[in-house]
Amino acid sequence: MADPRVNGRAAAEVDAVVVGAGPAGSAAAWALARAGKSVVLLERGPFPGSKNLYGGVVYGRILDEIVPRWWEEVPVQRWVVRRSTMVMTATQALTVDFRTQAWGRPPYNGMTVYRADFDRWLAGKAVEAGATLVTSTVATGLLRDEAGRIAGVRTDRPDGDLRARIVIACDGVNSFLAKEARLLPRTNPEHLTLGVKEVLALPREVIDERFGLRGDEGLDIEILGCTGDIPGGGFLYTNGDTVSVGVVLSLAHLGKAGKRPEEVIAGLKAHPAIAPYLRGATLKEYGAHLIPEGGYNHMPALYTDGMLVAGDAAGMCLAAGIWLEGVNFAIGSGLAAGRAAAKALDAGDLSASGLSVYQRELEKGFVLANHERLRGAPDLVLSERVQRRYPGLVADLVEGMFTVTDPKPKPGLLALLRRAARRNDVKLRHLLADGLRGGRVFR
Amino acid sequence: MSKAGSGSAGPVIVVCLRPADPAARVDPVSGHVDRDPGMLGLPPAEAAALEYGLRVAEAWSGRVLAVTAGDASADEVLRQVAALGVEVLRVPWHAADEEYVADLAADERALAAALAAAIRKATGPDGPALVLTGDRSADRGTGALPAYLAHELGAAQALGLVGLEATGDHLVAERRLDGGRRERLRVPRPAVCSVEAAGVRLRRAGLPGLLAAASAQVPVAAAAPAGGPQVTVGRARPFRPRARVVPPPAGASARERLLRLTGVLDTHEPPTVIGPVDAAEAADALLDFLRRTGHLEAQDAADAAAR
Ligand SMILES: Cc1cc2nc3c(=O)[nH]c(=O)nc-3n(C[C@H](O)[C@H](O)[C@H](O)COP(=O)(O)OP(=O)(O)OC[C@H]3O[C@@H](n4cnc5c(N)ncnc54)[C@H](O)[C@@H]3O)c2cc1C
Repeated sequence: MADPRVNGRAAAEVDAVVVGAGPAGSAAAWALARAGKSVVLLERGPFPGSKNLYGGVVYGRILDEIVPRWWEEVPVQRWVVRRSTMVMTATQALTVDFRTQAWGRPPYNGMTVYRADFDRWLAGKAVEAGATLVTSTVATGLLRDEAGRIAGVRTDRPDGDLRARIVIACDGVNSFLAKEARLLPRTNPEHLTLGVKEVLALPREVIDERFGLRGDEGLDIEILGCTGDIPGGGFLYTNGDTVSVGVVLSLAHLGKAGKRPEEVIAGLKAHPAIAPYLRGATLKEYGAHLIPEGGYNHMPALYTDGMLVAGDAAGMCLAAGIWLEGVNFAIGSGLAAGRAAAKALDAGDLSASGLSVYQRELEKGFVLANHERLRGAPDLVLSERVQRRYPGLVADLVEGMFTVTDPKPKPGLLALLRRAARRNDVKLRHLLADGLRGGRVFR
Repeated sequence: MSKAGSGSAGPVIVVCLRPADPAARVDPVSGHVDRDPGMLGLPPAEAAALEYGLRVAEAWSGRVLAVTAGDASADEVLRQVAALGVEVLRVPWHAADEEYVADLAADERALAAALAAAIRKATGPDGPALVLTGDRSADRGTGALPAYLAHELGAAQALGLVGLEATGDHLVAERRLDGGRRERLRVPRPAVCSVEAAGVRLRRAGLPGLLAAASAQVPVAAAAPAGGPQVTVGRARPFRPRARVVPPPAGASARERLLRLTGVLDTHEPPTVIGPVDAAEAADALLDFLRRTGHLEAQDAADAAAR
């Protein structure tokens, strides 16, 4: 057999191996290949994206760095031009609906895409740049050299050891490699949520009509208060001829509640504000996946001798209530990791100190800047009051405002607020404190 | 591209593969097939054919040549096959595969002729010792190609096999028969055999092989001779069976006729609950029931005659 070659060089030891061809891994492999390094991108699924699950919206501007005018070729379902935030109780729903045609034109804001299409497309860019993609192959452990430094990965293939000068772990939430390198602590359910999603088929014209859309316009609804006793949130996104509907549930509370996630989705789908959108839809897909929601305060160390961690593996999904963005953060951190690794390879210093350039790259960019600024958000957003009592309070307040009480005179706003707070077991001083805290967190 | 046992003078085992998209969508009215080239993979029967090919090649110290007729979208699958240390070859072939019916009309005889020409050229004067295929391709599935291939190559044929083994210089094949029986066949060389996806799993390629094959060029055979379709296909129409005349239900009133139609007042044998009993008693009870209802008579008579 011919000597295996990667990027024209013998594969006995490649410059880098990137584990996981999700958005983080493909971006890292692209950056390395562009810098002329030999890089192998390992993916356990039969193709990139085959094992991945998420809600459905990608914010694409970070792709400017990889593909100029990416919107002309990205496998998009719809461009999001309408974004609603819904606050719900079992019988009420308040929606703040925003629409702008500016988001329907290049360079666009958000798009709904299927991960199977998007991840495959992005990995294709890494391959075009010169990375070698190896699918259906699981990285089962780290290889170390005589000095104990990380020196590649072990895979489940026959003759499956792959020596590399640097390993970039992009293997997603709960990263097995980051744990083996002792960067990621043992799983703590407090910092994880469970995302559960259904994809429901509806004819394109029905989606257009029900959601007020035309052509390739799309809608993104984020929902608070739809998860009953379990802190969490929900979402509904439109694709070409399907809609994605799902919930994100606090893992620790889900365990205690003894409730099945599909019951929570069923509750959301049956809600009077959601059910009319989904009438007649048929189930195409159901899936569940963990989300690292700990944020900045719970990120692992991002590098060690011979290894970097990026994307969800490093807990870089931004989950701050009105935002649930992971793919753009994964791409941003993957690019930073790839560039930092290329620099360290050029400098010939793959020690932790040589790789610390990664942290600096990330701090310069949006990934760590956003996470650091919103470091208080996960605790606030996932708190009991925000998730379970404020939706009721807001809905009761608005119901009071819009209920006409003739022949009684209209009640004052403060009286309505007090009543709503009492009904939902919220103390006004807590409301004030949380308001101030929210102001500080989202300043 | 990698060559298994290249330089070995042993016999050549050819495996014909047709990659397919397992999730291809077919429009039930127009017959339009929507395939995703990125999803092309080896269907289970083709993977089984390849595994048998590798085993036979090992037993005979031969080499394996995997041949696919198609366009460049098949190259990725061929690279994965090459990672197993197999020689690969693509025969340029443009299937009219957007339309199922048109694809069928494009005639498997012409396809077999093109494949046979490429195989003959690649295997030299000795020709292949054995040609293996899946029993029927996953996305059109007439199962006729191996027979045409055998005809073109002047080889013996054994189709729809569930087992194939090289013993010494011979091939012993196994095939299902009705009634759960099997037949064993001694297959002479050269032969064309098609196998079902039963009993074997394709081995995994080693990592060095995968890396070597990842960016390799797939050899393409010379253009196949153009053979026009031999089958004429008319307009595709939905299947509309003739209406059957069903006797009207008896009864004077509409209610009676409705009762007769729905059978609500007919007496039914109530479900029998047996047990708790062990498996043997349960089986006896079931056999008794089948005998009582006449389902086993034919089989009993046949068994008695056989005794
Ligand atoms: C329900 C849900 C809804 C979400 N909604 C959104 C949303 O709308 N928008 C958004 O931007 N983000 C969303 N996210 C977050 C987003 O999915 C992640 O942040 C993002 O996918 C992280 O990308 P990644 O490349 O780091 O990891 P992943 O996408 O998880 O990719 C990891 C890859 O590594 C592979 N892998 C894992 N282990 C191994 C191994 N040992 N060997 C080889 N390969 C391996 C996996 O197969 C996978 O392809 C959502 C997440 C969930 C669960």
